[in-house]
Amino acid sequence: MSTFKVVCLIALVAFFVLWVRTEVNRSGRTISQLQNEVGIKKARNQYLKLEILRLSGPEVIIPQAQEKFGLVPIEPQRVVVVEE
Amino acid sequence: MLLRKRAPIAQGFNLKRRMSILGFLALMAPVIIFARLFYMQTFLHEEFSSRAERAIYNYLAEDRLRGTIWDTNGRPLAQSVRTHSCGISKKYVQDKNKTVDFLSQTLGIPKKQILDKWKRAGHFFFVAKKIKPDVYIQLAKVLRTPLGQGIELTPEYERIHPYGSSALDLVGAANSKNWGLSGIEQMYNGQLSQDISRKRAKHARRGEVIYDRSLKEEVTVGDVYLTIDEVAQYYTEKALRAAAEEVGAEHGIALVQDPKNGRILAAASYPVVDGQSLAFQFTYEPGSTFKTIAVASALDAGSVHVADSIDMEGRRWEVAKGFVVRDNQHKKDFLSIPEIMQLSSNIGAGKIVLDLGAKNLFYYIKAFGFGSKTDINFNGESKGSVPPYHTWRKVDLVTKGYGYGVAVTPVQLINAYSAIANGGILMQPHLVDRIEYANGEVEKLAKPIKIRRVLKEETTVVMKKVLQSVVEAGSGKRARITGYQVAGKTGTAEKLGKEGGYGKRSHVVSFAGFVPVSDPQFTILVILDNPSKYSFGGTAAAPVFKEIAEPLLAHKGVKPDQLDFE
Repeated sequence: MSTFKVVCLIALVAFFVLWVRTEVNRSGRTISQLQNEVGIKKARNQYLKLEILRLSGPEVIIPQAQEKFGLVPIEPQRVVVVEE
Repeated sequence: MLLRKRAPIAQGFNLKRRMSILGFLALMAPVIIFARLFYMQTFLHEEFSSRAERAIYNYLAEDRLRGTIWDTNGRPLAQSVRTHSCGISKKYVQDKNKTVDFLSQTLGIPKKQILDKWKRAGHFFFVAKKIKPDVYIQLAKVLRTPLGQGIELTPEYERIHPYGSSALDLVGAANSKNWGLSGIEQMYNGQLSQDISRKRAKHARRGEVIYDRSLKEEVTVGDVYLTIDEVAQYYTEKALRAAAEEVGAEHGIALVQDPKNGRILAAASYPVVDGQSLAFQFTYEPGSTFKTIAVASALDAGSVHVADSIDMEGRRWEVAKGFVVRDNQHKKDFLSIPEIMQLSSNIGAGKIVLDLGAKNLFYYIKAFGFGSKTDINFNGESKGSVPPYHTWRKVDLVTKGYGYGVAVTPVQLINAYSAIANGGILMQPHLVDRIEYANGEVEKLAKPIKIRRVLKEETTVVMKKVLQSVVEAGSGKRARITGYQVAGKTGTAEKLGKEGGYGKRSHVVSFAGFVPVSDPQFTILVILDNPSKYSFGGTAAAPVFKEIAEPLLAHKGVKPDQLDFE
């Protein structure tokens, strides 16, 4: 193999390594940003789920049911237990 | 023909030579670099590797995962959510006014407040903590613009309680680093939290982070499931709060237990302080609710029979010189055992334990679990106080019969009532049902454990009838529930004053009972400490029992055991 070809090959390899390195860094940044976004969206989702739980909890539901719809808890002796 | 052509050999030689030189030079560069690298790797390895580590990589802040605390039905009582705190590095801020304006608008904090912090702080200060994801997104957008220079967003955690302050006294608190500080959070910190090894990350421009690698670890963090039922907890807290506010009580405690397996279904404290459950930490002289223990012990030992009548000594009984016990609530000369309980006669209870004897009473008190901590071992749990019987004088023995001279915790008392309700077995009380780990492993903690038999089953049958008569015809009438047989005992105990004597101004009112008598599902204890309005166990605490029991019976679909209630 001629010297010229060897030099060209080395240059090509060097360029390839440089390109790979740059791509790794660029992808790393993108992955990092995406991971951050995923984390934020997950946290937002979790907040919303917990808000649903809060709103469906007895502290909120029972007073709302009483005030808005006039619903009151049934007296226990009126509960009919259906046997399985 | 003056010009001669160059010899083709010489031309070829020159090109080849030049190429060789160029090739040699081109090869020399990597050879030199290689040689230098070899030298650095071999002789300067330590120095350069540590320098490179510092320059290229950044160890991200240590992370700590934290599991969720659930109620028995899988409702989350405490859950960690990833959030951020927003701070300012003053020296990097380019335009102070614009940045402060922006933060004020985005975070909803007055500008003056931020500027005050700016003045007081040194290089860095926090503007807001636990910022929500929506706000974080707005802040993150400007981070790489001149407006965002100097703004720092630090990851942290917020421990969310979806049901507000419900059961907060039990659950306790965890900080923004996911570390348990009090209550269950602290007690089960080892199971709930897991430290994750530091992530190694690459620095990039303007604080960007390129993840190099994060050590993959097995997540072993656990979720703690309590025996608490959030719905039962809600009704218990609501009823307790209303009653405590009505009578102006300093403290209030309400406990609900399943007498068959010892599971605590609800434990409410008033006022609510995170991690400070009065159900375990409060100690008091129980007063008349302790007569149940005294009478049950005497019936079980055979020192008294339910059909016996006790002489009331003209309702003025001089136990010892200078110590007189009075019954002002009735005019009878003799009382039967059920009547002693219905009218809450101190003379009757005192005489019963006098017949039983100090040693026997002490044995029963200890057998019921008083004077010892429960295995729940809640933070700050008290063991109460039961002095050894050989130190008791006659007066001490008599007063213990009606609940003075012993200090108990609410969880001890409810567990003792549950023993009567379930047929005489003292069960291990449970607050934590199980721990479920991320790898699927489940650690069951609330297995029904029989500590010991305290009373014969036939004694409990008699005691249930006696306690039922207290609710039907005695001081506990306000605990009656239509359709259900209720058993219980009221208590109104004067508190030991700072000067040493008992005074009527400071007292504790309580009610302990269970329902339905035919097949007890709930044991409930209500305590109101030091109400500002003078009140009695029968008037202030018994209605709370009813307030708690009624929705629970409906919620669990417990059949009525009184057939003629219509």
